[in-house]
Amino acid sequence: MSVVEGAIVYSNLLVLLSVGLTMTYITTGVPNFAQGSFAVFGSYISLSLLRLYEVHPYHTIPLAFVLGGFLGVGVYILVLRPLIRREASIVILMIATLALDLILLGIIGAYSDFLAGLTHRSATRFIFTPYDFNIAGISAILFTSTAVIAISILALFILLYKTKFGVALRASMENPDLAEVMGVNVEYTRLFSWFLSGALAAMAGTLLPFRQEIVPSTGAIIIVSIFAASIVGGLANINGALLGGYIIGFSESLLTYNLSTVFGTGVLLYSKVISLSVLVVMLILAPRGLTGINWRRVIWSKSSSP
Amino acid sequence: MLKVENLNAGYKELHILFDVNAKIEKKKVTTIVGPNGSGKSTLLKAIFGLATIHSGKVYLNGSEITRVPAHEKTKLGLAYLPQTDNVFANLTVEENLKIAGYTLNEEEVDERIAIALDAFPELERFMKRKAGTLSGGERQFLAIATALVRKAYVLMLDEPTAQLAPKFAELIFERILDLRDRYHLTILLVEQNVQRALEISDNAYLLISGRVAFEGKARDLLEHEKFEKLVIGIVD
Repeated sequence: MSVVEGAIVYSNLLVLLSVGLTMTYITTGVPNFAQGSFAVFGSYISLSLLRLYEVHPYHTIPLAFVLGGFLGVGVYILVLRPLIRREASIVILMIATLALDLILLGIIGAYSDFLAGLTHRSATRFIFTPYDFNIAGISAILFTSTAVIAISILALFILLYKTKFGVALRASMENPDLAEVMGVNVEYTRLFSWFLSGALAAMAGTLLPFRQEIVPSTGAIIIVSIFAASIVGGLANINGALLGGYIIGFSESLLTYNLSTVFGTGVLLYSKVISLSVLVVMLILAPRGLTGINWRRVIWSKSSSP
Repeated sequence: MLKVENLNAGYKELHILFDVNAKIEKKKVTTIVGPNGSGKSTLLKAIFGLATIHSGKVYLNGSEITRVPAHEKTKLGLAYLPQTDNVFANLTVEENLKIAGYTLNEEEVDERIAIALDAFPELERFMKRKAGTLSGGERQFLAIATALVRKAYVLMLDEPTAQLAPKFAELIFERILDLRDRYHLTILLVEQNVQRALEISDNAYLLISGRVAFEGKARDLLEHEKFEKLVIGIVD
């Protein structure tokens, strides 16, 4: 896989992850630090089906989507909703998701040992690249991840803009009190956003091992990029996650590669520095992200200045 | 129609309304007036289920609705229009009207939108525009139109003329009367423009420090010899 192909694949997956993160942040105000582990949960679903039943990871996408959705809903109902009802502050919610992340890490770690015992093969470190194939000289993961993101975004667009529930979802995101006044059961929209967030993350998780090695703690590493993508795009806007995902994905992959050609391969270990640098610059220049900038005003002030 | 019985309400532990009793008559405009902080808006919120009810009961057509969740009250024909943020700025006018009919089936929504546009024909020009781009008056028209889509027969309006130019404010008052007469709606109004609100109202309640200080005909309050003192909260 070429560097550019790798960057596209990584960016596609990052978009799936950051869309989910942004969605649950808008609907429930929870900055979910366990989003990366939701993805690893998906990776292990694929690994289990591959090792136990020889199901190709691409075929596990639908099941990972559904199970990931249930994980999202479960986390919301069991942990976050009770806290939100007790009016927990954003700091408490953030700490709760950090705790959740550690719990998931423990469960996934224990499960990897269990799976290794069942299959007599190590499951604490794995990669799916040997199972990939080429289409016209290009790795299938590039097509698959692009198709998955295109279908997901199209479906999300149709849902949000063309269906009654989608309009209700957008209304609930903008003003939940008013949506309630209009007769929308806002709680359903919150449950749905957690389902979708978990589902998209797990789906990204099934494809992530085609691009990088997965260990139980991978979630704790990729969460940096997921947050960077959501914040750079703008945490208050789903379109921002799309934009931020590609900006962070490409800059992390391509800049790190270019730096490694100058300073050596050791730089590759610090790829997250790029995401964090972009994040810091964005927070200083536009704290509300790219979609939070009033571009008309920016353009108008530029054109009207002498 | 709508009855409030010994209502004690507020926000969490904060107590704002004390033993409020009120009867809102069918197909009439009832205005709640009172000085700032007297609990006018809280009364509307408590009726709709958006404030904390400590004790007391709310009845709609004889059925108790005190603990019915807000989104369920919409289905019962009760509509509440908040003072601010009463439309979805990022949704188009059309989407705002459609979401207002969330609890109705598709045919009913189209029917109700036609009725709402008949009452507020000026909105037809803006159907594809985002509500956030409308002027204050147009937004208020849209907000009231959404209540019509909701198939409500009790309309609770919280300061619908706030921050509007006098010309638009007058238009809103005219439309309120129109809604009562053409669509036989029961209207419960909270207004800062006391004089004009009472002029268009059938009945009135005066709230002072969360308690009912006057109830009766709007004209009686308007013609009360101590009217000016009463509405700013001075009771001898």
